[in-house]
Amino acid sequence: MKSIKLLAVFAALMLVLAACTSASETTTTAAGGGEQGSLLDTVKARGTLNCGTRDAFPGFALLTDTGEHVGFDSDFCRAIAAAVLGDATKVKHVDLETADRFTALQSGQIDVLVRNTTWTAGRDGNEGATFLTVNYYDGQGMMVAADSGYTSINDMDGVIICVAKGTTTEGNAAAEAARLGLDWEVRPFDDTDLIQQAFLAGSCDGWSSDSSQLTGLRSVYPDGPESLVILPEVFSKEPLAPAVLDGDSAWAQAVNWAILATIQAEEWGITSANVDSFLSSDDSNIRKFLGGTFTDSDGNETTLDPGLGLPTDFAYQVIKQVGNYGEIFERNLAPLGLERGVNALWNDGGLMYAPPYR
Amino acid sequence: MTPPIPKSRTPFYRNVRFISWSFQLVVFAVVAAFVYWLFGNYQRNTASSGIPTNFTFLGSPASFDIPGADFEPTESVRNAYVIGVLNTLRVSIVGIILATILGILIGIGRLSKNWLVRKLSTIYVEVLRNLPLLVIITFTFLGVVLQVLPRIEDSWTPLGIMVVSNRGIGVPWYSGTSGLSLIVVFFVGVIGWWLLARWRHLVADRTGQPARAFWFGGVFFLAALVVGWIVLGGRIILPMVDGKRIAGGIRVDPSYFAVLIALVIYTASHIAEIVRGSIQAVPVGQGEAASALALSGFQRMWNVVLPQAMRIAIPPLGNQYLNLIKNSSLGAGFAYFELTQVTQVTVGNGSPAVPAFTLALTFYVVLSLITSAFVNVANRRFKLVER
Repeated sequence: MKSIKLLAVFAALMLVLAACTSASETTTTAAGGGEQGSLLDTVKARGTLNCGTRDAFPGFALLTDTGEHVGFDSDFCRAIAAAVLGDATKVKHVDLETADRFTALQSGQIDVLVRNTTWTAGRDGNEGATFLTVNYYDGQGMMVAADSGYTSINDMDGVIICVAKGTTTEGNAAAEAARLGLDWEVRPFDDTDLIQQAFLAGSCDGWSSDSSQLTGLRSVYPDGPESLVILPEVFSKEPLAPAVLDGDSAWAQAVNWAILATIQAEEWGITSANVDSFLSSDDSNIRKFLGGTFTDSDGNETTLDPGLGLPTDFAYQVIKQVGNYGEIFERNLAPLGLERGVNALWNDGGLMYAPPYR
Repeated sequence: MTPPIPKSRTPFYRNVRFISWSFQLVVFAVVAAFVYWLFGNYQRNTASSGIPTNFTFLGSPASFDIPGADFEPTESVRNAYVIGVLNTLRVSIVGIILATILGILIGIGRLSKNWLVRKLSTIYVEVLRNLPLLVIITFTFLGVVLQVLPRIEDSWTPLGIMVVSNRGIGVPWYSGTSGLSLIVVFFVGVIGWWLLARWRHLVADRTGQPARAFWFGGVFFLAALVVGWIVLGGRIILPMVDGKRIAGGIRVDPSYFAVLIALVIYTASHIAEIVRGSIQAVPVGQGEAASALALSGFQRMWNVVLPQAMRIAIPPLGNQYLNLIKNSSLGAGFAYFELTQVTQVTVGNGSPAVPAFTLALTFYVVLSLITSAFVNVANRRFKLVER
């Protein structure tokens, strides 16, 4: 009899559990986007943005001793929060391993992935991700010890190359070695600390990663940045772009325009310091952009709402609280010695271009 | 006259068998429905975001390289998985053998009459089994392989036949003969072993001398292999430093070395405790009887106590072997291309995550079940036959 009672209790528990889980089903699918509503509404209702990023990458996203996330990617997380929620501090930075980042996006753990992620066709298709405006154009490079004597990757035959795992880095290195007819042994490690140790101990000849990453890693190398050299070749296209989940265009547009606003602001010379003075600009396009009033064709004072689901002053909030693209770059990447290069504005010979805001 | 037993039948819903069966059915149905619902959710969500859930990615090119293996980036993901499984087996099998030997030695050491040996064995067991394995691997990789072993430029070449550096350890290896002729030599060795063993047993029966059939046969077998292989024109290839790498012979990968050492010393600490417990579980009278027959300490342990102790030790040893196989997945963090590493790298290079990891999961389950089957067979074979 006792065992029957136990069984009954167990069965009842299972039923309750099943009931609970099917109740939570509706909420999870709603968060997953699609028909039930956009993440845009979910994020607004929640009041915080879950932004997938990392914690140990100088220049792009670094968790400081005081518990702050600083860096280029972290600032773009803030820009999105400023645009959507009106407050750049309402960000929960979720530290992700490279191998986990798309799973976190797919499962709804994060709303947006801003984590040095290369936009590739395979990821667009297979990972269920939608990539947005590229915020940094990068390329894979090679770093070697200064005393190794290598001046070009063509010198490097029969060598050991160490890379971080879970990226396209292994594939690029293998393809480049095959193209140049070189024999490279590519060893993937779980994290960059292990690679640094292996490099210091002399068990790797080359350290390959995106050039921006190499610059950041070089700046904090224990033996000093001058003991490492980044070779001139860049052997892959690595456009780094924020990504959101497929099938939620309202959310994608909102995130996209938060990024585009930083580029547009730089083009107009609007910075976090002088943005208030532009509110009364003579240029009605700038006033529209910042959510200021203008006179429409009927002679009424109005503000422009392009229907992105964002507050009309989202661009003002982004620039005021985070800054324009140039400011974000100067603040985070210039100290590492990175140049604007192809990441300059389009009218300055670069690739950064925002569609018109009207 | 006793009153007749009333003929009313127990209603079916009070039948114990009915109740227990129906409840089990309900529980099973609930669990099945739950799993079905989870799977449906997975399919719906992956379909809505366009993530493939099939295994066609196995046929596409891997596009990454596997160090230390005969593998081209143009080969299929399937072949990469095969190499991953083989590497898992390579570290597991060698690890199991070494951990068992080390574990038995330390387990015996725990019971030694020698104070120093006993204490050192105790310290070993207590330290190693109380450390997380990941910490041990990190230490063997960062501390031992990277720091203790020299750079390739100043590599050690003990006796001129090995190359030791933190880019790997070069060991001499044979080359030359292969195929049928070597198989013939192998069979000559086996037959010679068998004949010698027969002869030694006959001698033992006639004279009472110890047979030592294993030693006689084994030495002949090895000698036959070596002589046959030299006669067939085999040669030893010595490893050497070739630029930045080790060429010739067999290269023991530094990551493999670090993972193997960590797995062996960690698992051995657990095996040592199993062996100690099993030896203490052998009735004291067995050892005393062996002493009464004037057997030496070694003979007493090797011929009388240990065989009985190992019989007790087999089931828990099997658990440790399973642990070692599964723990080998920690090598993935340290550039060792075992199954988990291959899965992670292929997912990073565009294979869909859920099917890829499902495959890895299945491999681990199959490997574990096969190991369990071996252990069960051994257990049945050595179990005390009770009549």
